[in-house]
Amino acid sequence: MLEATWGALNGATRNVLTGVGEYGYYLRDIIRAVREVDTWPRETIRQMRVIGVESVLLSVIVAAFLGGVTAFQTRFQLFPGVQVSAVGLITRQSIVLELGPLLTALVLTGRVGARMTAEIGTMRVTEQIDALETLAYDPVAFLTLPRVLAAIVMLPALTMLANVAALVSAWLTLLLATDVRTIDFVEGLRISFAPFQVFYSLIKATCFGAAISFVCSYQGYIAKAGAEGVGQATATAVVITSVAILTLDAIVAAVLAPFVQA
Amino acid sequence: MKRRDEVLVGLLLIVTVLVGVAGTVWLARGGLASGYPMYALFPWGAGLKNGQPVLLAGVNIGFVRQVELVPDGTLRVTLAVNDEYKIPEGTTAAVEPNGIFGDQLIALSPKLAVTTFMTEGDTIETGKGTPGTGEVLTKADSIAADVSAIASSVRAEFVTDGGIAELRKTTQELTALVTQLGTIAAEQSRELTLTQRQLRNTLAAVDSVVVDSTLKSFRASSANIAQLTSDLQQTRAQVSSILFKVDSGTGTAARLLNDPTIYARVDALLLKLDSLAADVKANPRRYINLRVF
Repeated sequence: MLEATWGALNGATRNVLTGVGEYGYYLRDIIRAVREVDTWPRETIRQMRVIGVESVLLSVIVAAFLGGVTAFQTRFQLFPGVQVSAVGLITRQSIVLELGPLLTALVLTGRVGARMTAEIGTMRVTEQIDALETLAYDPVAFLTLPRVLAAIVMLPALTMLANVAALVSAWLTLLLATDVRTIDFVEGLRISFAPFQVFYSLIKATCFGAAISFVCSYQGYIAKAGAEGVGQATATAVVITSVAILTLDAIVAAVLAPFVQA
Repeated sequence: MKRRDEVLVGLLLIVTVLVGVAGTVWLARGGLASGYPMYALFPWGAGLKNGQPVLLAGVNIGFVRQVELVPDGTLRVTLAVNDEYKIPEGTTAAVEPNGIFGDQLIALSPKLAVTTFMTEGDTIETGKGTPGTGEVLTKADSIAADVSAIASSVRAEFVTDGGIAELRKTTQELTALVTQLGTIAAEQSRELTLTQRQLRNTLAAVDSVVVDSTLKSFRASSANIAQLTSDLQQTRAQVSSILFKVDSGTGTAARLLNDPTIYARVDALLLKLDSLAADVKANPRRYINLRVF
């Protein structure tokens, strides 16, 4: 009994360490792939379009609903005596510091990350990646690095648009559905605002973009043969990425939150 | 197709950067033309932050752009005032609470009927603000502590030391006393009624003729007493006159009373009389010689 438990524990520990090590090797390969400048720049632009431009509408719609609901709820949770401008302050802080980057990243995990894993996984199981290696192409430089770079650049861009869309939606919602006036909302938006709060949001988005592309491309890269393997890899990628995003969110908040105060 | 990707990506990035920069500048500075700066000085701990509103006579005219900590214990606050508003000379600035959760605003109080205005970059004089939530809460805490102390004292006096029991006992005794007084009052009232009735009966029985006769007798007696008094006064005057004469030394009686020489003579006379009496007793035949025949 004890021997079996020890064996299971040993095996699990070895699996975790192996997984971390493989992620490390993968990261090393990505860094090495930067040298392949003839391979990744053009594909990076394409991936930026796929990840960024094609996700603008979804990100903005999600953010608009997010901003409207946040502002609406905030207004009606305030009890008498609180100045109405607090709605603007709370909405801004909620969206810019937390919900904007977080929900954008989670939405893109489903839309972009799953697609990324499925694409690369399919290429793996159909031996297209092997073919690239045969043709002396670095598959990481061709498949992974462009996606990682594109996600690192486009996630902050999408987050910025999402933040703006959420705040505009919040303003319109308050104006049309509540007693909050524009001057109150704007006054609240400006209270305790510091430009670093925007950078904080972008830093989070950059981390999330790196996590999405890195984890999802890796899960596709190591997908097992068959359609089931690709599906399994996609599900695993979404789960791991979601957890990674929330973990990074907590880490970034813990590290940078003291600097956010105006 | 490739060219189209680059255009789209570039467009998205440019729009994103422009939106981000414009939004940040608008929030932080109120836009590119964000009014003109004014300054105000407040003590440390005023609770000021960037973006807090600036009100002139209750009208929002700008916001706090910057708060600088000066080592001499003051905060140098930069106010961004909208271009369409001017601040009258003599205006004072004060930090006042905005809502009940500790947020602050800067309230500018202008003087009435002032036609001159401060210029850009002037420092607004610091005025006296209303007490903040913290001060109110401190005062409330103080009052609550006092009330608690009073309650403790009352509890100690009335509960622990048996004050309430004594109060109840006193109340019961007072009730008994009142009852007793009520009984006495009823008794007195009854007796008073009885006395009144008897008095009425007595008065009814009194004969007015007898009363008149009695009164006449009283009057006659009074007249007699008055006469007697007058006689006594006359007698007293005569006695006084006699006593005066005696005292003043005139007359025989006065001399008898006042002249020591007479006293000496009388005394000597008495001695001689004594001696004579003794001699008479001793030798009666010398003095008494009765001869019948």
